[in-house]
Amino acid sequence: MSKGIMKHRSKRLNFWLLLLITCVLTLCGIYISLTNGTFDISAKDVIRTLLRIDSNGDHDLVIFDFRLPRIVLGALVGFGLGIAGAVLQGITRNSLADPGIIGIHAAAGAFVVLFMFISAGTMETPGWFSILSMPMFGFLGGLVAVALLYMFARQHGEFNPQQLILVGIALASGFGAVTLYVSLKMDPQNFEAAAVWLAGSVYNATWEQVLSTLPWLIVLIPVIWSRAAVLDLMQLHEVSVKGVGVATGRERQLLLLCAVGLVSACVSVSGSIGFVGLIAPHIARRLIGNSYRYIIPLCGMIGMLMVVICDFIGKTVFAPAELAVGIVISIIGVPYFIYLLFKTRTG
Amino acid sequence: MKLPASLKMASLLVLGIALIIFTSVLSVLYGTKSITYGTVWNAMFHLDPDNIDHMIIITSRIPRVAGALLIGAFLAVSGALMQGMTRNYLASPSIMGISDGSVFAVTLCMIVMPEASSMSMILYSLAGSLLGAALVFGTAKLLPGGTSPVTLAILGTIIGTFLGGVSQALASYFQVSQNISFWYNARLHMMDPALIKLAIPFAIVGLTLGFLMSRPVTMLSLGEETAAGLGMKVALVKSLTMLSVVILTGISVAIAGKIGFIGLIIPHITRYMVGQDYRKIIPFAAFFGALFLAACDLISRFINFPFETPVGVVTALFGVPFFLYLVKTRGGGSA
Repeated sequence: MSKGIMKHRSKRLNFWLLLLITCVLTLCGIYISLTNGTFDISAKDVIRTLLRIDSNGDHDLVIFDFRLPRIVLGALVGFGLGIAGAVLQGITRNSLADPGIIGIHAAAGAFVVLFMFISAGTMETPGWFSILSMPMFGFLGGLVAVALLYMFARQHGEFNPQQLILVGIALASGFGAVTLYVSLKMDPQNFEAAAVWLAGSVYNATWEQVLSTLPWLIVLIPVIWSRAAVLDLMQLHEVSVKGVGVATGRERQLLLLCAVGLVSACVSVSGSIGFVGLIAPHIARRLIGNSYRYIIPLCGMIGMLMVVICDFIGKTVFAPAELAVGIVISIIGVPYFIYLLFKTRTG
Repeated sequence: MKLPASLKMASLLVLGIALIIFTSVLSVLYGTKSITYGTVWNAMFHLDPDNIDHMIIITSRIPRVAGALLIGAFLAVSGALMQGMTRNYLASPSIMGISDGSVFAVTLCMIVMPEASSMSMILYSLAGSLLGAALVFGTAKLLPGGTSPVTLAILGTIIGTFLGGVSQALASYFQVSQNISFWYNARLHMMDPALIKLAIPFAIVGLTLGFLMSRPVTMLSLGEETAAGLGMKVALVKSLTMLSVVILTGISVAIAGKIGFIGLIIPHITRYMVGQDYRKIIPFAAFFGALFLAACDLISRFINFPFETPVGVVTALFGVPFFLYLVKTRGGGSA
C-alpha cells in the first residue's frame, strides 16, 4: 500500500520534472530562434524590445512581425498536434495512429484549399473573417475524413487497427489529389500561397493566425485533459471498459471530435506537419508510462519542442533558402519511428 | 453455359486490343485542340513540317499516347509481380517507396551533375528504385512480422515520405526545386520521344524478365514452402522478379514521374477477370494497365478544360475508392 503511494508520488515528481525540462528546452529553442536568423539580435536587445524599453524600429519589425508570430504559432501547432496524436492513439488503441497517417491532415488541408479557392475572388487581403473561418472549414474536412474512417475502417463496431491505417493512407492520397486539383485551378499567386502552406510551414505566420488557432486550443485541450481517466480506461479491453460503467461510444466520439478540432485548427494555419502526433506520444509514453493524465501535457510540450526546434533548423541550416518545418520533422522523425518499431516489436 | 477458358481469354484479348486502339485514336484526336481524322492521316503519311497540326500530332500527341500505354503496362506488370511474389495484396511500386527512391536518386543526379544526359537520368532512376525497394523490404525483413501487408504498406509509406523529404531538402538547398518538381509530378503531357526511345531496351529487358518470371511467381503465390517443395530456387526467383520490378518502375519514373495506383488496382482487376494464374495475369495486366493509363490521360485533358490536370489526380479518382473497397473486403489479411 505505502509502496504504491510512494510510487505514485515519485511518478508525479517525475512528471513535473519532465515538464520543467521540456519547458526549459523549449524556452532555449525560442530564445535561439529569436536571437538568430538572417540578422542576429543580441539577447539584451530582444528583451528590451519585448519589454518596450527604448525600442528601435528595426528590432520591432523583425521580432514582432516576423520572428515572434512564427515561434508562437509553431509552439501552438506543436502543442495541439502532440495532444491530438496522443488522443487518437488512445481512442483507437493503435500506436501507429497519427492524424497525418490516418488522413485527417489531408482532409482538413483539402477543405482549406477549397475554401481559399472559393473565397479567392472576394478577398484581396485575407480579412478577419476568412482567417477565423479557415479552421472551421478544416474542421469540416476533418469530420468528413472521420466519417469515412468510420465507414471503412470499422469491424463489429470497433476500429480495426490495420484497416484504420490503410483507409487513412487511401484517404490521404485521395484528399491530396483533390487538393492538387483545386490548387491548380487557382490563379498563380494563390497557388504559390497554397503550395507553401501545403508543405507544412509556419514561415509566413501572422498574429491573426495565432489568434485563430488559440481559441480552439483553449477550449479543446481542457476538455481532453478532463477525460484523461477515460482515456486510461480505454486502454483496457472494450468489454471491461463498459463494465466499469463508461459510455465508451459517447466518450470516444467526444474525444475524437476534440482531436479532429485540434488537428484542423493546426492544419489550417500551418499546413500538414506530419509525425508530431505520431512521435510525441511515443516519447511521452516512454518517459512517463501509460497514465494519460501525465501523457497529455507532456505530449503537448514535446510536440511544441519538436516544432520550435525543427522550424529553427529548417530556417537556418539552408539559409537563405527555407525548408518547411514539415520536411525537417519528417527527415528526423522517420528514422526515429522505424527505430521505435524495432524496439516495440523485438522488445 | 460456361465459355471455354481459351475462348474467354481470346475474347478478352480482342476486346482489350480494340479498346486500346479506340482510346489511342481518341487521344490523338482530342485535346486542347481537336484535330480531324484527315489531318491525322496526312500527318502520318504525308508529313508537312510547316503545318502546325501535323507537328502537334507527331511531336506531342503520338509520343504522349505511346508513353501512356507503355508506362501503364510497366506499372501494372510490376505491381502484379510484386503482389504475386510477396503474396501481399497491397504491394505496388508507389506504395512501397520504390517510386520515391527513384525520385531521390534523380534529385541527387541533378545536383551532382546538372548536365547529365537523359541516359544517365534513366540509370540513376533505376538505381534509385533499387534503393527504395532495398530500404523498404530490408527493414521489413529485419522487423519481426514486418512483411505482413499492413506493416509493409506503412513502412513503404513512411520510408517514401522520408526519401521524398530528403529529396526536397536537397533540392531546396541546391536550388533545383523547380526542376525536381517538374520530374516528380506526372508529366505525360510533355513526353520526350527521345527519352522513350532510350528507355525501350530497358523496357524489353524488364518485360521479358517479368514474363519469364510469371510461371515461378505463380508458384510463389501458392506459398514459399510449396514453391521450394516443388524444387524452385526461391531466392533466385525472388531476386530476378525484384530486378524486373525495379527496372520497370525505374524507367516509368524516368519517363513520366510518379503515377500512383496503377500498380495497385490493375493487378486486382486482372486477377478478377483471368483467375489466379500469373502466366495470364501478367500479360493481361500489361494490356489493362496500358488501357487504363491512356484512358486516364484522355480524361485528364477534359476535367479542367482547357487546362491539363495531372494524370495522378485522375488515377487517384479511380484508385482511392478501389483501395477502400479492397481494404473493406480483404481486411488486414494476406493475399
